[in-house]
Amino acid sequence: MTEPWNVVVCVKQVPDDDEVTIDPDTGRLDRSSAPAVLNRPDRNAIEAALWIRDEVDARVTAVSMGPPTATAVLKEAVAVGCDDAVLLSDRAFGGSDTWPTSLALARAAEELDADVVVCGEETTDSSTGQVPPGIAAHNGWAQLTYVEDLEVDSDDERVIARRDVEGGHERVAADPPVVVAVAYGENEPRPAGLHRKLFAENEFEPPTWSAADLGVEDEVGLAVSPTAVGGMETVDPVERAQAVVDSPGELLAALDEEGVV
Amino acid sequence: MVDVDEYDDVWVFVEEHAGDVAGVSWELLAEGRELADAIGDDLVAVVIGEGVDGVAEAAVSRGADRALVADDPVFEPYRADPYGEQFRRLVEDRKPSIVLIGGTHTGRDFAGRVAVPAHAGLTADVTELDVDEDGLLQARRPAFGGNVLASIICEEHRPQMATVRPGVFEASEPEPDRSGEVEPVEVVVEESDTVSEVLERETGDTADITDADRIVAAGAGCDGDLEPIEELADALDAELAASRAAVDEGWIDGARQVGQTGKTVRPELYVAVGISGAVQHVEGMDDSEVVVAINSDPNAPIFDHADYGIVADLFEACPTLAEQLRDGEFEPEVIA
Repeated sequence: MTEPWNVVVCVKQVPDDDEVTIDPDTGRLDRSSAPAVLNRPDRNAIEAALWIRDEVDARVTAVSMGPPTATAVLKEAVAVGCDDAVLLSDRAFGGSDTWPTSLALARAAEELDADVVVCGEETTDSSTGQVPPGIAAHNGWAQLTYVEDLEVDSDDERVIARRDVEGGHERVAADPPVVVAVAYGENEPRPAGLHRKLFAENEFEPPTWSAADLGVEDEVGLAVSPTAVGGMETVDPVERAQAVVDSPGELLAALDEEGVV
Repeated sequence: MVDVDEYDDVWVFVEEHAGDVAGVSWELLAEGRELADAIGDDLVAVVIGEGVDGVAEAAVSRGADRALVADDPVFEPYRADPYGEQFRRLVEDRKPSIVLIGGTHTGRDFAGRVAVPAHAGLTADVTELDVDEDGLLQARRPAFGGNVLASIICEEHRPQMATVRPGVFEASEPEPDRSGEVEPVEVVVEESDTVSEVLERETGDTADITDADRIVAAGAGCDGDLEPIEELADALDAELAASRAAVDEGWIDGARQVGQTGKTVRPELYVAVGISGAVQHVEGMDDSEVVVAINSDPNAPIFDHADYGIVADLFEACPTLAEQLRDGEFEPEVIA
């Protein structure tokens, strides 16, 4: 390949879902105590982006949309090896659902002249999985989702993915620019190197792009988001008999009576 | 913003691969029928593929008033870009009010390619659907680890789209005498416009646990040793499944994961072995008819979500259960 590829990896800062608790009296979520962390599937996305750079001449830029505190996850991405990072941050983005979120990321990917955009399969806070196909749809680009394994065909300048599909797998080739959503846990993210870590923490500050910088100021935020939360209710679990039996024989006799064995 | 009154009918995407229809499509036709009746609209099946007239007729027998058929080799096998473009054009031309798509990898892959250009509201991974008195769709989905059910609405954009988790609705039986219209539509995609190519597709090697009548699921407690659990599954003629912990450890294939990030199952019998019972897991199995928990920790939350529990070491309990099942004699032998 003549020109180096531009690889953009999208990352998000989310509340640590293991730490989100529910107030048993009010049923309200307590997210205040949950620390903000890098969305776990995005670690696999960063690893995939860096893997592409190992294969072909490429430059990897991490992009995050969020409040200024999201700088932390960009520094983390730079610490593990991303060449650069950009923060999309603006009050205008507030309340965006997946439609404007994927628009802002799509415009940033265009601005960065991306050949490949890598995302995690979904985020642990909203788990829609809709942003990667949304980015591809906004830009009219190819997409490869639920990707377990990647190949780069440098002769034909194509990206080939092994995708998990219901009941099996498929291999799909796509022409760049292409959006790749990596299935959670499908690779082993590399650790940060010490020098890179020190650089990220002490010297690196990502530039911040506003909605106006991306030319989307009238197309993002709560007002243009097609969906809205109409209400929340706590989930009542199904009532169960909760009978504790002492022996396998007793259990099987009971299940026999129920007609399920 | 759009004039929402211009939009009507409930559409269900019928997902098929080489003539095999994804079970969730039939589940959605049953649920879509109820929604359509509630708002007095038609139920329309959208069938995309090659040689799919039989699928369209099956959709009518499962409750559709009409089936729109886009039949062309460009649609086999599935790819996001041609499917998305064809569906987008149908939505633009015919203006459906509600569009339901199975929350499979395929459905979740291409739904955004329709919703984005249509500027439609798209709700992911829905587990409950309803319409209010104004015909507004209430798409409910689990949030925050399954502790909360969030109701998502879309007031000013159309269509109201949702990907729906497989296994949460019950498919209705086909009625072969049911009549409805099968309408071929113009194919608007050409092979030369596509930006992706399927090199190979291999399916059939992975079990679909959403269809299983009996399931034995392994959790972290098995410590990587699946033998006793497989033995029990074998004796029960059950499918093997797993919690996220067991999948994350790499002991069991992700296709067999039950729970919020996995699949929703509704078998007659669900046996949770060595599974602590995190809310994310319970969410995926709460529709099971009878739940059995085997765990050595008497305080494990799974016992609150089980009809029958045994506090026992799974490495003793599973082989004993398997043996008694094979003998057909249920001996009241106590396991400490």
